[in-house]
Amino acid sequence: MSDNIYLPQLARVAFIKDEVVGERAIKTFRVEAADGGDLFEHECGQCAMLSIFGRGESMISIASSPLIKEYKQFSIMRVGRVSSAFHDLAVGDVIGIRGPYGNDFPIDDWRGKNLYFIGGGCGLAPIWPLITTAVAQRADFKNITVFYGGRTSRDIMYRAELEKLRESVDVHLSIDKAEEGWEGYCGFVPAAVMDKDPVPDNSVAITCGPPIMIKYVIENLNKLGFADEQIYTTIENKMKCGLGKCGRCNVGKDYVCVKGPVYSWAVLKNLPEEY
Amino acid sequence: MEKILDKKRIDDWIAALTDWEVLAPALQDGIWTYKPVSGAARLDHPNTRQSPKELTFPQREIFFSFEQIKGEPPKLTQILPKETRHVVFGVRSCDGKGVPRMDKVFTDHVEDTYYTTRRKNVAYVGLACNKPPSSTCFCLSVGGSPVSTDGLDVQMTDLGDRYFVKAITETGKALMKAAGSLLAEAAAADQKQVKQVHADAVAYPQRKINDPDGAPAKLKASFNSPLWDEMARACIGCGICTFLCPTCHCFDINDEVQSKAPLKGQRVRTWDNCQFPDFTMHSSGHNPRENTGARLRQRVNHKFQYFHENFGMHQCTGCGRCVSECPVGIDIVAVVNKVTENVG
Repeated sequence: MSDNIYLPQLARVAFIKDEVVGERAIKTFRVEAADGGDLFEHECGQCAMLSIFGRGESMISIASSPLIKEYKQFSIMRVGRVSSAFHDLAVGDVIGIRGPYGNDFPIDDWRGKNLYFIGGGCGLAPIWPLITTAVAQRADFKNITVFYGGRTSRDIMYRAELEKLRESVDVHLSIDKAEEGWEGYCGFVPAAVMDKDPVPDNSVAITCGPPIMIKYVIENLNKLGFADEQIYTTIENKMKCGLGKCGRCNVGKDYVCVKGPVYSWAVLKNLPEEY
Repeated sequence: MEKILDKKRIDDWIAALTDWEVLAPALQDGIWTYKPVSGAARLDHPNTRQSPKELTFPQREIFFSFEQIKGEPPKLTQILPKETRHVVFGVRSCDGKGVPRMDKVFTDHVEDTYYTTRRKNVAYVGLACNKPPSSTCFCLSVGGSPVSTDGLDVQMTDLGDRYFVKAITETGKALMKAAGSLLAEAAAADQKQVKQVHADAVAYPQRKINDPDGAPAKLKASFNSPLWDEMARACIGCGICTFLCPTCHCFDINDEVQSKAPLKGQRVRTWDNCQFPDFTMHSSGHNPRENTGARLRQRVNHKFQYFHENFGMHQCTGCGRCVSECPVGIDIVAVVNKVTENVG
């Protein structure tokens, strides 16, 4: 790698999949080093700065397990200028990538424990590396449970992967309002969690999704007896450099791009709510 | 190394610095600005409109250019700063103090090549303050002094018809050696006079931050104070406070496109500003610092709490530019004092 921290490596888009179509469209991209070499290594929860030259850069969670070396996966919702440009890419196109940025989930501290993953909407992507790593190392963990909800059945991402996950872990899918043919839970994610009564003993809960969902998920986990130290989440803020220099993503004294995005609720609840 | 320079010979010293591009304050259209020296250098400025920050952190700089023919991978060409050596004369102590603070930001965690390349090629020749401070100066409140040598390579002190010239760093010694016989040994009387000039400079009354050491904890306790909104009500969000600040370092990175097919453009860093709503606005429209109160708090807390928590020093040098140039009279000294006055 170059010692110029702002110079991205070139990466070729090897795979594109429509996860969700329509107004809240999400596409999944897999990218590999354009020169046939390696991209950087990463840990679960870290992010990368992706570029489309001429459009700009955007910080995106890495959605593939660190165990996968051949490519890095990103699931991107069409929201802003750069994410929209991503949705116009075709397989074979070359983008820029630099990273990895931020801290990671302390997965090694969690071996031998029950894991509860609670995701909503696009918030499944940042915790997906952790889910798939835990599943790949299934014997290291006790019960693994995945709660995941979308607004409607058409908003459920990683649908096929989630179905396959049922072979080794409990998966509970939910949608906000009842739909014909839907067999999962109907209602908001925090309520879907309560419906299954997760046990706090020897457990860790990891949640990511819209801020309002995270807020009520944490409230409910506290009600179930989960201590703040047992609850982890990942937050996002606007970023430009990824290196604690451009000055915008701080929550209190810490830049999310360096000290985040992964926080235990015990830490996060004492920080100013500037995220 | 402590020497004496006849004031009339300052231009000869500058002329002797042949390996360096020399800048000094120049009065242009009523504004003191650092300019390449041509002719006689004037060192009778109160302070310049902008600090010399731009020499290490330019307002606009190109990181790299990109070029792409359709169907082919993009070609990136990094554009690193030129290794031109600059020496800046007439730097006031407050602006000198800005230098180590910028160094912290751009070298902590990982090094910013663009900054460090420029930084290693810049030397600062300070000029101690010897007159009563302006009504907006408050360097003494933030661990500084009108005669501080922090961040400087050489410090000059005006002794009437001559300058007392003191090397602070090895680079400073080299600059002084280049002067050769222009610099005479300082006599005991010169030493005595410098001490007096410095003591007088420090003794002039300045406005005060009442409890600078207690500010980090007190600001932390005041995060939810209603005063932030109240004190920011007049703010028009122009951002002059941070653009003129010798320690503000926030920046934006954007792609500028010169041609779409074939694609040709540049990735550019420009100064950015925590007083702008766009600075923190997510693409979803959510904004963690959505009003002027939250943005004033960010500016003040960054300088007097967050930076202090991270690096053990205030990120403010007391230069007073944000106070004197604010179009609506927002005054960082008054804000810090007001917010912290009744806190434990």
